[in-house]
Amino acid sequence: MRKLFIILSSLFITTGLNAETLRILAEAGDEATLTRAAEQFEQANPGVTVEASYLGWDDFMATIKLKLSDNNPPDLAHGNQGFTVDGTLIQNGLVIPLDKYADQYGWKKSFADGALAEFSWSKDGSTWGSGTLYGISPVAEDVIVYYNKSKLSALGLSVPTNFAEFENALATAKNAGELPIMLGGADGWPIIHVWGIIEGAFVDPEQTRSWIFNASGNRYDTPSRIKAASKLEEMVKAGYFGSDSLGIGYDDANAMFADGEGVFNLTGTWATAQLNEGMGDNVGAFAMPRSSSGVAGGGSFALPWHISSKSSNPDLAAKFIAHLMSTEFVDDLMEVGRVPAQSPTIDPTSNLQAEVIAASNALVGSNAKTFYTDWATPGMYDTVTQELQKLLGGAASAQDFIDAMAAESKN
Amino acid sequence: MNPLRPRKSRHNSNYLYLLPAFIFYILFILYPLSDTVYTSFTQWSGIGEKTWVGLENYKNNLSDKKITSSIKHSFILIIFYSFFPIIIGLGIAGMMVRIKVKGMAIYRAILFLPQILSMIVVGIAWRWIYAPKGPLNSGLDFFGLNDISRAWLGSFDFALIAVGLIGTWVMFGFTMILFIAGVQKIPKELYDAAKVDGAGAFAEFFNVTLPGLKGEIVVALVFTVTLALRNFDLIYITTGGGPGTSTMIPSMFIYKKAFQMNQVGSASSLGVMLTLLIFTLISLIIITLREKR
Repeated sequence: MRKLFIILSSLFITTGLNAETLRILAEAGDEATLTRAAEQFEQANPGVTVEASYLGWDDFMATIKLKLSDNNPPDLAHGNQGFTVDGTLIQNGLVIPLDKYADQYGWKKSFADGALAEFSWSKDGSTWGSGTLYGISPVAEDVIVYYNKSKLSALGLSVPTNFAEFENALATAKNAGELPIMLGGADGWPIIHVWGIIEGAFVDPEQTRSWIFNASGNRYDTPSRIKAASKLEEMVKAGYFGSDSLGIGYDDANAMFADGEGVFNLTGTWATAQLNEGMGDNVGAFAMPRSSSGVAGGGSFALPWHISSKSSNPDLAAKFIAHLMSTEFVDDLMEVGRVPAQSPTIDPTSNLQAEVIAASNALVGSNAKTFYTDWATPGMYDTVTQELQKLLGGAASAQDFIDAMAAESKN
Repeated sequence: MNPLRPRKSRHNSNYLYLLPAFIFYILFILYPLSDTVYTSFTQWSGIGEKTWVGLENYKNNLSDKKITSSIKHSFILIIFYSFFPIIIGLGIAGMMVRIKVKGMAIYRAILFLPQILSMIVVGIAWRWIYAPKGPLNSGLDFFGLNDISRAWLGSFDFALIAVGLIGTWVMFGFTMILFIAGVQKIPKELYDAAKVDGAGAFAEFFNVTLPGLKGEIVVALVFTVTLALRNFDLIYITTGGGPGTSTMIPSMFIYKKAFQMNQVGSASSLGVMLTLLIFTLISLIIITLREKR
């Protein structure tokens, strides 16, 4: 009996003090990053086991709210910026504020004032863009312009330094029989990124960000935005996206671009590794120059990390986030092909990554990231993808697009 | 009392044998169904409290032009998922009666193949066939029909037709097998009598084969119309409802509302409406075509 008691109590002590499991649910794009981080974290914290599971984008977004409202949710999970996911999680008290940990680990000091606005909410989750910090991410994602180097130089062109030069490059490419912009419009969402870039070229980024944080309280149909929509319509009519873009999926478009079709490809930095593998030194990247000065484009941090309010050990979960956010981990992010939100110490792993990081820095430097249009309201993803497809297919005018978007903003 | 017939049991204990199945039916059909109906009268984000809003969701659905036009798309799809396969199936069955082909079983198996493939596989395969540089366009270009070739699934004018034709391709194997089986139970004497009366191929088809297949046609209609209305996977894989909203159908809205827009109440009300629509249509089909006794 006594022996049994000793065995039982020693078991209790080991499990109670040392053995600890951190359960993580992540979107599949983070698998390489997390595998690396988990290994390092387990080594630095003996007795801790990191148990990560992954879901592809669609499945993840469809189920994350249910997973976190479960009685036994993961300790740490991705969310998604905006009212649809993050807003709902906060409104229902499913994730905890991170201010305490941000102070403890110095996360706020790493970034400029206001840079973390996309993770900041009122306590009741009703307003977004300032207030309490609920999430954080070590990775930056920007929408930039990738280009085929040999094609651009064969056309006698160099990297555009203002938007007019970019338009000129499109016209030259078209006249030479090249497809100016490769776009996979069948999936809908890739057109949001094209729109973000054109919008950024004409609309003050601050104006776009304010609208995204508070769509019903800010005017959508401003003159500069109407101008941007008209420009996109003009580009469509000039045939700069080709005639088949609505029949091509996003993955196919990137594969076709890597195979040498199209001069430009307007997409996010997440495509860097894939394009680098397919094109090597023949692919370059730059941030889109604005019509006036500076650069602009969509972009934000990657998906935020949240700590579940039912986590048995939130401090350990925060410690893991701190590991991801640490300056030591920045170089690991580089090595798995991500764009770190903080400056790396090692050299870029490829020529393309160097240009992507330069583009990303340029966007951060001019405070010109405009997030993504679909964050604005829960119904915005549907509205903006459908309306952009109509604009691209010639089934709607720039004014129709603006009207539909302004109406959705009020929802 | 007929000694051969077992005595009817007066013991209610017989009903106990139904109990396990009935419990499953309640748990997995009746309970979710009634919960969906209840949710349809509420506003609910998917987690947290449901707020009672009465008929609000239903009113909003009926006044939402995108939803009403998606129902119109469903009715167009019925032509492709139901009418075309039935006509093709009848045509093939009618021919089989008169013509004997060697190795028929093999042809039948090949024609039936689309029916046993997963819709996901079918969708991905046809995405490739319809792609801007896919086999369909290559074929058209080869015959000099460059003006016709296009991004079929990305075309505002053709996407719905293109998706509909996939449905025809999937469904006609089912109707064909159904009708061929049906033809075999039509008494040979009827065909002999028709021949004696000097009926040609068409007269034989309309006077003997078609009336003899009435029951099978009702089954085919019920099955294919239901599929056309509640179809989700094929649209989700091929077009996602696009371009714009040109291939949007109610089930896509149910998915989008429930999983993208946090409007589970509204999604439920649309689900209830779709169920009622299917139920009404199927009832109409069965009542109109019921065999007269």
